[in-house]
Amino acid sequence: MLSPAEEAAMRAALDVLRRDPNVRYAEVRFVDEQNERLQIRDGRPETASTGGSRGVGIRVLGQRTWGFACTPHVNEAELVAAAQRAAHIAKASSALATSAVIFPERPASRGVYETRVAKDPFAIPLDQKMAALDAPVRELLRGGKPVSSAAAWMEWVRVEKRLLTTEGTDTTQRFTYGGAGMMVHTLGDDGASQRRSYPTWQGSEGFQGGWEGLDALDLMGHTGEIRDEAIALLTAPPCPEGTSDLVLDASQVALQIHESCGHPTELDRALGSEISLAGGSFMQPRMLGKLRYGSDIVDIVADSTSEGGMGTFGWDDEGVASGTHPLIERGKFVDYLSSRETAHALARESTGTMRADGWNRPPLIRMVNVSLQPKRGTLDELIADTKDGVFMLVDKSWSIDDLRLNFQFSCEAAWEIKNGKKTRILRDPRYTGITPDFWRSCDAICGREEWKLFGISTCGKGDPMQIMQVGHGAAPARFRKVSVGNTGSKG
Amino acid sequence: MTGEELLALCKDSLARAGEAHAEVFATWRARGCARFAGGELGQHMELEEPHAVVRVARGARVAEAQTTRLGVAEIADAIARAAKAAPLLPETEGFPGFAPAGDPTPHPRRFQRDTAQATPEARAEMLAPVLAKVRAAGLVAAGMLETSRGAAAVATTEGCARSHEDTIASFKVWALETPGAGGAAGYGGHMHQSVSALAVERETERAIRMCKLGQNPMELDAGRYDVVLEPAAMAELLEWLSQIAFGAPEVEQGGSPMRLGERITGESVTITDDSTLDDPALGFGVPFDREGTARRPITLVDRGVARAILYDRTYAARASTRSTGSAQLGEVGGVGAIGAANLALSGGDAASVDDLIAGIDRGLYVCRLHYVNGFLETPRAVMTGLTRDGCFLVERGKIARAVGNMRFTDSLLEGLARSDGMTKERTAIPTWWSDGGTVVAPAVRMRGFLFNGRSQKTLEREQ
Repeated sequence: MLSPAEEAAMRAALDVLRRDPNVRYAEVRFVDEQNERLQIRDGRPETASTGGSRGVGIRVLGQRTWGFACTPHVNEAELVAAAQRAAHIAKASSALATSAVIFPERPASRGVYETRVAKDPFAIPLDQKMAALDAPVRELLRGGKPVSSAAAWMEWVRVEKRLLTTEGTDTTQRFTYGGAGMMVHTLGDDGASQRRSYPTWQGSEGFQGGWEGLDALDLMGHTGEIRDEAIALLTAPPCPEGTSDLVLDASQVALQIHESCGHPTELDRALGSEISLAGGSFMQPRMLGKLRYGSDIVDIVADSTSEGGMGTFGWDDEGVASGTHPLIERGKFVDYLSSRETAHALARESTGTMRADGWNRPPLIRMVNVSLQPKRGTLDELIADTKDGVFMLVDKSWSIDDLRLNFQFSCEAAWEIKNGKKTRILRDPRYTGITPDFWRSCDAICGREEWKLFGISTCGKGDPMQIMQVGHGAAPARFRKVSVGNTGSKG
Repeated sequence: MTGEELLALCKDSLARAGEAHAEVFATWRARGCARFAGGELGQHMELEEPHAVVRVARGARVAEAQTTRLGVAEIADAIARAAKAAPLLPETEGFPGFAPAGDPTPHPRRFQRDTAQATPEARAEMLAPVLAKVRAAGLVAAGMLETSRGAAAVATTEGCARSHEDTIASFKVWALETPGAGGAAGYGGHMHQSVSALAVERETERAIRMCKLGQNPMELDAGRYDVVLEPAAMAELLEWLSQIAFGAPEVEQGGSPMRLGERITGESVTITDDSTLDDPALGFGVPFDREGTARRPITLVDRGVARAILYDRTYAARASTRSTGSAQLGEVGGVGAIGAANLALSGGDAASVDDLIAGIDRGLYVCRLHYVNGFLETPRAVMTGLTRDGCFLVERGKIARAVGNMRFTDSLLEGLARSDGMTKERTAIPTWWSDGGTVVAPAVRMRGFLFNGRSQKTLEREQ
C-alpha cells in the first residue's frame, strides 16, 4: 500500500518535473508487488517462496526524446533525485535525436480498478495450499513406473499500481493474478520420455482472480487422464509426416495467436523498436486494411476488458483507458497494438497497450487479451466433421522467425482422425507453416461453449527483458492442408 | 553498493532476525542501457535491480522469501516471513542444511572503474559515431550499449560469508536494410568488463559489411548442409543444451541426454562451466552460487564423453556428492533453478572463421540464430530455430551469396559429433536466463546439419 507520505513524495517528484522547462511530459509510477510461488515435485517441495518488489519508475519526455530512471526508495529525496536523473538522461540523449518525439496530448484519466476476487488466495493457509498440490502429485505418481516424475504448482501475484502524470492522470489499480497446473513425465525402457500437462503447459494457465480460479481447474479430476496419456505416448506411433487437416485444441490455438498474431501486431516491433531482442514484423503499416491475414471466419480482437483475463486492466501505463479493438476483422488486418507515440505515427489513436514489468522498467507495447472470436459447434462436432486429419493438443515447443512468419510448434500429444473419429494416439507431433497461409486455411472455429480465456504469465519482450501477463481467448479450430510430422530430426 | 556493503547487510539482517538456521543471498545492480532503434536513441534508461532472497530451515522444512528492499529491517522481515512459513511445509528430502564457511571465495578480476562510472553523456557520445556510420552507409541502426556495475553477497548462520562485485559493458549493433520489415541485417556485438575496451567501431563496421553482403538473398531448398556457425549462433544452442541437459533435476526426470561415462557427442567437444575465467573479455558472472558454494571449473563433457552434472546442495546430498555451485535464482517461471553460470565450449585450432568456411564445398555460413527451442526431443537434444542476421551460401570454400532465413531441426549433439573444425578464438555471448553469466563459444563447423524449411523473405506479394 502507498502511504500518504509516499504519495506526497510522488507528487513532489512530479512537481519538480512540471517546473522543468525541458520536460514536456512525465509519468511517476509506483508499483508494489507481492507474490507467492509453490511447487511440489515427486512429493517434495521444489519451490515455496513469497516475494515482494516495491519502488517507483519515472519516465520523462524531454525536448526531443525520452529518459527513464527508478528507485526502490519511496521518499521525497530519492524520488526527486530519480526524477532529475530521468530528465538528465532525456537531455543527454537529445543530441542523438534527429527529430523530436511527437507525443499527442490526452485528457487526464482518473479512477480505481480492482480485480474481482471471490476468495483471497493470500488468506488461504500455506499448509492448505501445499496439500492442494501434494494430492494430485501423489495421484500422478500412483502405480510407479513408467511414471518418472510428477509436479504441481501454483502462483499468486498481487500488484498495486499508482500512476501520476504531468497531464493530471491519477489512477490506482489493484490486480490479483493466479495460475496453477500439473505435469507428469514417463520414461520408457528405451530411454524415450514423454510429458503431459494440465490444464496446459506451465506458464500459460493463468487468470486474473482469486482462489476460485484454482478450484475451477479441478486438478484431481484430471490426473488419471494425463497419466494415462503420458503412458500411452511411450508406445504410440510417431505422428506421420505429410500434409494433413489439423485440429488444434483451444490451448494450442491460444499459443498460435500469441506467437503469430499477438507479437506481429505490436506496432513497436513493426516500426523496428524491438530489433535488439525480438525482431520486426511482417505486418507492416502499408498493409493495414489490405492484408488478407486469415480466412473470413478469423476475427481477432485486443480486449483489455475481458473478465478474468491476464491482460485486463483499467488503464495502461500511459493513462489510456482499457477497451476492445479489432486487430483482424473477417480475416483482414485492421489495427495494431499501439502506444500514444507509435499510433500517432500512423495518424491513429493508441489502443492502450503500454505496460511495464514492475517499477524498474519503462512501459512497452504489450499484448492485452488478444483473442480469437468463437464461431459455432463443439470440439466433438468439429472432429466428427473431419474425414482425415490430426488433432493436436497442449504445446511442447515453439519457434517462429524474427518477422513472425515461419513457425514450427510441437505438441505433447496428437490423435489420428479417421472418418470423423479419434482413432489412435500419436507421439511427438509437430506442425509448421507460414502465418498468413496458415490462418487463411482456417475453415472452422468452435463456439462459445468451447472458448476459454488462457493467461500467459511469462511473455518476454524488451531489452533488458521484461516479463508480462497477457491473455488469449481461444476455441478449438481446424486448419486445412497443414504440414505435419514428428519431432525426430532424422531426414 | 559494494560487495562488502552487501555482505554486511546480509550478516546484520541474520543477526537481527535471530533465526538459528537461515541464509541470505543478495544482489544489486545498476544498469545504464542506451537502446537505439530506427537510427535513434529511443530508450535510454538507468535501472536499479536490488534483490534479496532468504531461506529459513526448521529441520528439513525450508521456506523462502524475497524482497527488493535492501535494508536490514526489510531483509529481517523477509526472514521472519520465511520462518513463519517453514513449519507449514513438507520436509525437503535430503536437505543438508545451509552452507558452512567452506572453501575460500575465488576472486577473479571482474571490476573496471570506467564501466562503473559511465554516464548517460558518455554512452550517448559513444553511440554518436555508430549511428552516423550506419546512416552514412544508407542503412538503419538498432542495438544497445549497456554499462553496469553490480554486487552479490551471501551469508548463512552456519558461517558462510562471500561477496563479489563486477562490471559489465556490452554493445550490440544491427545494420538493417529496413527498420522492422525484414530485408538484410548485419549484426555485431562485444562484451568486456571495461567499457573503454569495447570494440564499438569494429563491430559497427562488421554489422554494415554483413548487411550489405546479405542483400538480395536467394531461396535455398531444405536439406542437409555443411554449416559454419558463428559464436553467437553456437552460444544460443549451447544455452539450450544447458537448460535441458546439465541440471540434476533434468537428469533425474529422464529427459537429459547426459549419460555419465558414455560418449554422447564428438571427440572434439569439451564443455565446461567455469566462472573463474580470469579474462576481462570472457570472464563474467558471480564466482559462487545463491547457496554460497564456491563455483569451481567443472568439465561437463570431456572429449565427447558425459562426465559431470550440476547440483545444488540438496540434489548433491541426495546423490551423495558435492554441490557444484549451480543453485540459481530461477526467476523466470522456475527456469534454471540449477544451471550453468559460465558455460564454455573449448575451441579448436582453426585460425579464423574463413578457414572453417574454406573447408566447405557447398554449405551454409550462419551468423546468428533466432527463437531456438530445445524441448522437442530432449534425450537427443533435438532443437529447432531459424537463422537471423546473416545466412550465406558457401561454394567451393567461399561465401557465394546471401540466402533467405532457414529453419533447422536437428540434434545438437549428433551435429557436434559431425563437427570437424572450431576456431581457436572464442567469444563471450550474454545469455537470457543465467545469473548474469555468459556462454563462451568458438565458431563451429558441422557436417550435414538438417535445415528443414525456409522463411519467406517478405510479403511483398501481398500488396
